[in-house]
Amino acid sequence: MTTVLRIAKLNKRFGGIVVADNIDLTIASGEVLGLIGPNGAGKTSLFNLISGVLRPDSGGIYLNGVSIVGRPLFHRARLGVARTWQHMLLFRSMSVMENLMIAPRIYVGESILRVAFARGAVRAAEAEAHERAESILLRMGLADTLHLMVTDLPFGQQKLIGLARALMNDGPLLLLDEPMAGVEGAAYETMQRVVRQEAEAGRAVCVVEHNVSFIRDLCSRAVFMANGKILQDGSVEELIASAALTELYFGV
Amino acid sequence: MDYLLTLGVLISIFVILSTSYNLVIGYGGLSTVAHPIFFAIGAYTAGLLSIHTTIPPPVNVLIGAAAAMVASVLLAASSLRVSGDYLLIASLGFQLGLLQLIKNLDFTGGPGGLGAIPGTFTGPLRAPIYLAIAGGLAILTVLAIRSIVQGPYGRAITAMRDEELAFTALGRNAMSLKIVIFAIGCGFAGIAGGVYAYYFQYISPDQFEVLQSAAILTMVVLGGMGTVYGPVVGAVLLLAIPQAITFLNLPSSVMAPMQGILFTLLVLLFLFLRPAGILGGSAKVRL
Repeated sequence: MTTVLRIAKLNKRFGGIVVADNIDLTIASGEVLGLIGPNGAGKTSLFNLISGVLRPDSGGIYLNGVSIVGRPLFHRARLGVARTWQHMLLFRSMSVMENLMIAPRIYVGESILRVAFARGAVRAAEAEAHERAESILLRMGLADTLHLMVTDLPFGQQKLIGLARALMNDGPLLLLDEPMAGVEGAAYETMQRVVRQEAEAGRAVCVVEHNVSFIRDLCSRAVFMANGKILQDGSVEELIASAALTELYFGV
Repeated sequence: MDYLLTLGVLISIFVILSTSYNLVIGYGGLSTVAHPIFFAIGAYTAGLLSIHTTIPPPVNVLIGAAAAMVASVLLAASSLRVSGDYLLIASLGFQLGLLQLIKNLDFTGGPGGLGAIPGTFTGPLRAPIYLAIAGGLAILTVLAIRSIVQGPYGRAITAMRDEELAFTALGRNAMSLKIVIFAIGCGFAGIAGGVYAYYFQYISPDQFEVLQSAAILTMVVLGGMGTVYGPVVGAVLLLAIPQAITFLNLPSSVMAPMQGILFTLLVLLFLFLRPAGILGGSAKVRL
C-alpha cells in the first residue's frame, strides 16, 4: 500500500482554541481510516486543513509525496482531494445531474474562452461527465433521480448525492464528513457499499463519523482525536476497547 | 418622429445596461453600484477618441468597452480578494471618485461635459440608422448574455451562487469566474456608453451619477432579476410608459412631476403584483 496523504507536525489555532496540535498522520491507498472523537475535537477542522479551506499555522501536508500546503482550495481539488460536507452543501437550485456535472476534477466549462471557441472539446467533456455521473448514480441505485431537483429528494438520498458529487473527482483522496448523520435504511447500506468499493479501487478514504458501528463495519484503522490532538491510532477494536477513550468520548 | 426614434435608441442603450447589470448582480450575485461609471468610461473613451483621432467609430466603441473591462478587472480583482461585501464599498468609491475626476479634468470637459462629438451620420436617416445599430447591439447583448448564463458556463455561475464553498472545493475557481462575469458585464456597459456618445454627441458627468445604478437596478428587479428577458421588459416599460403621457399635451410643469410619479407607481404596482419581477415566475426572490 502506498501512502497517499501524509500530514507532518500540523498546527492550527484560533486564538486560544487549538484545533490541530502537532498532528502526524498518514493514509494509504486502499485504506478506509475512521476519524472519531468528541465534538470540538478538531475532526472537521482537520478536513478543512487538508482540503484547503483553512491554512495551517505550521506543518506539512503531502499528497502522493507532493506538498499541497500552499495550494488554494480549488487547486487541491484539481490535484485530487475530494470531500463531502456534514451539511452536504448541495447546489439547491440545480438538478441531481447538474450537481454532478459541475463536479469533475477538471471542468472545461468554467473557461469562457473555451466555452466560446472550443465547442467541440467542451461538448466532449460534457458527454464524458454525463456518462460518469450516470454510472455513479446507477451504482447508488439513484439513476431515476437524475432529472429531479436535489431539494426534492429525501434527506438520505441527498447525503448520497453529496457522496456522488465528490466521486465525480477521480483523485486519490476522499474525505467524508459525517456521511451517516441522519441516514437510515437503504441509504446506509448503499453508503457502506460504495465507500468500500472506492477503497478497493485504490482510493485513500478518511471518514469522520459518530456512528461507531459504521466505523467498525467499514474501517481497517481508526484514529481518536480530542482537543486537536491524536490520542490513539490503531485498529477500531483497540480504540473501542480503550477505557480511557470511552470515558473521553462518552463521558462515562 | 425623431422623438420616438430617440426614445428607441435610449431604450436600446438601457436594454444593454440593464441586461449586463443583471449578469453581474442577478446571475453573478456581485454587489456593485458602479455600472454608470463603466457606462461613462465607454462614453468618454469613444467620445474623446472620435474628437482627437481618426479611428473609425466602431473601433472607438470597442476601445471604450475594452477600457471599461480593464478598469472593472482592476476593481474586482483588488476588492474581491478581501470579500464580496468589499466590492460594494469599493464600487461606490470607484464610482464617486472617478466621476469626480471626470468633473475636474480639462480634457474631459469638466462639469460642463464633452460636446461636439462627431455624429458620423448626417441627414434625415441619421436617427433610423442609429436605432438600427443600437437595437442590433441590444439584441446581440441579450443573445450573448443568454448564451453565457445557459450551458456549462451558466451551470458554473449558478453553482457558485448557490454554494460558493462547495463549488470551490470541487476544483472550480470562483474568484476568476467572478472577475470574468464582472468584466463582461462592465464591457457591455462600455459599449452602451460608446453608442450613447455617438448618438447624442454630447455627454456630461451628471448622466453617469451613482443614482443611475438605482434606475438600472429598478429595471432589472422589475423585469425579473436572474432571468434573461426580464431586464429587457423592465427597461422598455420604465422608459416607454412615462414617455407615453407626453402625448397628452399637458403643460411641462405638470408633465415632469407626473412622469416621476408614474415611474414610482409602476414600480410599486409591479413589486406588489409580481415580487419576483414580471418574468420572474413564482415569488422566489433572490437578492
